[in-house]
Amino acid sequence: MASTTWTRLRRAVAARGFTPASWIPAASEGRAEEATIRPARLVEQGEVGGIAVGLAEPWPDPVAFLDGMQRYEVMAYAGASPVVVAEVAGAVLERHDRQLHAALAARRRLVIARPAVLADLGDAIEDHQAIPLPEDGPPHPVHDFLLARREVDAARGRLEVELGHSFRARSDAWLIVDGTLTESPQWAADGRMLGVCKSHATLPFADTDLEQYLRLPVGHRSPVFQPAGHDVAPVWSWALRLWPWEGRDLLHGLVRIEAAPRDETLAQVDQLSRWLIAERSPVSTPDPRWDRLLYGIRAVEQYLRASGER
Amino acid sequence: MPDALPIGRVVATELKPATPHQFHFWTARESPIGIGAIVRVDVPGRVVFGIVTDGFAYSDLDAPIHDVIGADGDPNLGGRAPTERAEIRLYQAAVLRQVPEQPMQPVPLGAVFLAGDADVAEALRMDAFLGGEQPTGVPVGVYAAGGRDAPIFLDADFLLGPEAAHLNITGVSGLATKTSAAQFLLASIFQTFPAHRGRVAAVCFNVKGPDLCFLDQPSEVPEEDRGLYARLGLVAEPFGNVRYYAPYKSDGVNLNTLRSHEALAANTVPLVWGLREVLDYAEVLLNRDDVDAKAGAFIDFLKERVVGKPFSDVTLSDAPLEVRSFADLEDFFRRIFEFLEVQSRGAEVWRSHHVATIRKVRNRLGNISVRAKGLVTDDGAASDLPWGRFEDRSLHVVDVAGLDPTVQDLVFARIVSQLREHLEKRQLGVEQVVVFVDELNKYAPADGPDTYVRRMLLDIAERGRYLGLVLFSAQQFRSQVLRRVVGNAGTAFFGRMDMDELATPGYGTLSPSTRAKLAALPKGELMVRHPHFTQPLFVRFPRPAALTGRQGVERFPPAAEVSFPAAVARQLRGLDPAVTTPAIELLIDGRREEDVRRALHATRRTRPDNVLAYFTAQLGKKVEREVVDRRGVAPLKRNGGDPYA
Repeated sequence: MASTTWTRLRRAVAARGFTPASWIPAASEGRAEEATIRPARLVEQGEVGGIAVGLAEPWPDPVAFLDGMQRYEVMAYAGASPVVVAEVAGAVLERHDRQLHAALAARRRLVIARPAVLADLGDAIEDHQAIPLPEDGPPHPVHDFLLARREVDAARGRLEVELGHSFRARSDAWLIVDGTLTESPQWAADGRMLGVCKSHATLPFADTDLEQYLRLPVGHRSPVFQPAGHDVAPVWSWALRLWPWEGRDLLHGLVRIEAAPRDETLAQVDQLSRWLIAERSPVSTPDPRWDRLLYGIRAVEQYLRASGER
Repeated sequence: MPDALPIGRVVATELKPATPHQFHFWTARESPIGIGAIVRVDVPGRVVFGIVTDGFAYSDLDAPIHDVIGADGDPNLGGRAPTERAEIRLYQAAVLRQVPEQPMQPVPLGAVFLAGDADVAEALRMDAFLGGEQPTGVPVGVYAAGGRDAPIFLDADFLLGPEAAHLNITGVSGLATKTSAAQFLLASIFQTFPAHRGRVAAVCFNVKGPDLCFLDQPSEVPEEDRGLYARLGLVAEPFGNVRYYAPYKSDGVNLNTLRSHEALAANTVPLVWGLREVLDYAEVLLNRDDVDAKAGAFIDFLKERVVGKPFSDVTLSDAPLEVRSFADLEDFFRRIFEFLEVQSRGAEVWRSHHVATIRKVRNRLGNISVRAKGLVTDDGAASDLPWGRFEDRSLHVVDVAGLDPTVQDLVFARIVSQLREHLEKRQLGVEQVVVFVDELNKYAPADGPDTYVRRMLLDIAERGRYLGLVLFSAQQFRSQVLRRVVGNAGTAFFGRMDMDELATPGYGTLSPSTRAKLAALPKGELMVRHPHFTQPLFVRFPRPAALTGRQGVERFPPAAEVSFPAAVARQLRGLDPAVTTPAIELLIDGRREEDVRRALHATRRTRPDNVLAYFTAQLGKKVEREVVDRRGVAPLKRNGGDPYA
């Protein structure tokens, strides 16, 4: 649904002679990831097939959750070149006494187009951050849109990183991030941050190890390993089965946790796992990702969705 | 003034849109809002007042099974989830008023504030009758919500007429709702009814136990209730000008009331009627099987031609007959039968009335004096309410609790008729009279025979306000009362209600939460409907400052039934405390009881300075007993041989 701001913008853009468009990609579309196996280095000795972490334990106060969201649409065309308008937002909800409260939130509006188009738009987009697309070829509506989407992803990532830094700068609370910590070297090195990755497009093992990795029983974790390919922001990671997968899917209830590559992580990995298992309640239904989506993360998503401009 | 900070915000969705008469708003979980709270929606150019009628709470839980899954099926773990689910408190409110009233628009999506004193007055349209040169507000209770309160007023013009009138109170018994509410409101009316609207009095019928028997006696008013009185601008005091009326018991000297303690005798007077008073309302006591057209015609003849005026008929007496009492009436009938049987040699018709009709009327009327013994006097002199001399703010309590139901009907019918007649002629002494009747289920049932009393109540309900005759009625089950009677009550109070009663169609307009609140309403709280209020409102009222029936009986136990001389002495002591029982015993020794009663009633009516002397004079000269020889008829024949003679 178009917001009032976007409606105003659409009118202003149309008034300047641009061709109106109504291409609205799915707002919840996530960042594209290539499915691959990138063998990891085991940091901890043990069976890939599973280490029991013990009974769930409630996470001591305070703890916070960080997530972001984005939405975008093609608003108009200048010739064949699209004008993409986007909104990215992020928030941190902090938990005290079992209640979540908004600790930080930020929202940005973007207009992404070729530089000449942005110049033609002039003051019509003065409330928005203008992001120019590279002009390394003739305008192509789909190519330009894909480039614009990449810019939206990046803007959202930057916003989340800023929020994470701000929060950690003022609070000693644990901060659980939806997704990877490798977005920022500072995050990756932070001993009080955890990344909870729901996506398993990139897998750390192959063959028999992979089969064991994907068949972790509920309440079990993999040994700690270092994922490959994150030289700037290295992290340590382990998989954790939150819900029984038997009878459902190999990935059901399986999350991959990222933490700072420090000895303390190894010392705490079972404790952290027990705390995370406790976070599976309340269940994040009706979200279809409820088996891997922590309730705190879902609460941030809902907060962003509800507080966004209509 | 509303709080600076809002307590909620209006929300509207396609499924639950805001309309001109209803809206929804959410609040924080800790909000003090509850059912019945008045709120104000403020947006530029429009203010909307609403009253909360329902509340909803829900979380983001999709289905109960997900909570079970989250707790691994263990209820003990359910409450230990590290995060509490997001919970919304959503309230439904009915619009009380929109400013401006036109154009009538859906409630805007604005901030919601808890209403303050001024908001409450404006929301309930009380500003229309509380301000100006001639305010007509009558305090009814205190509205309380969210830690604040505001006095609530009824408009006297809509409570006592002429715009609308009448009050109906519904509530289960024993929870100090109906009687207490009526008492408090009467006290409030007496203290605040504006002089520019005339004078007002009240007549209450005490129909059960000692309920209304001690309205002139002060009770302990708790500090909390004193605060309520002060908030309403009222003084916590019992009624000052009260007069009690009760018929005698069958002995004719002991009053038939639980208010028979000697300390309360000064303003407790007998209610005694003569033949004239009763005959006018014979229809109340005689059912349709008793009074056919022929009997009705003969009763009309008695009323028009015989009772209370000289009646000349040489067939009955050479001198004009004076029929003033049941005793006179019995003598009158005896003369008719004697004429028919002896002088007319078995004739069956007297003045076009058949002897069977005359006998039937005699039986029925004679029966009245038996059934209503204590109310009906044989000496023809009545002791009645002060017709034409009602004082402003006076309360008249008629105790009919100990009477036969039919006689209760008679008392009710005659008093209300008299009130009506005097108000019509503007000769009562006041311009408005409130009549309080409890147990309306019994007197004006929805189903049941169309009795005289039922018709009379309907008549008051439909036409009384033009006369200033106002009905305050109460019952346990409103649904079982004649719809036109309760429907004509401009104002209605609802105390704690029975769930079965609340399930009847009459309460269908209330939200489920309002009905649930009514089912558990604490003592001293009421839901009020009034023409100025577009929605029902919950208020709290202080307990009356007079003794309840139970307290009164404990403090002033009813006098024990005593001997005839002692009862006479006690009655006279109400006029002169120096009167002693031995003196009375000496005075009335050897006198016929009916003569003593006649003298007693005359003394009470006259209230002379020298009570004993007047009473003695009324007794008259003592006629010594004389033994008279039996004067039988000599046997026609003495036959000693006849063993059966």
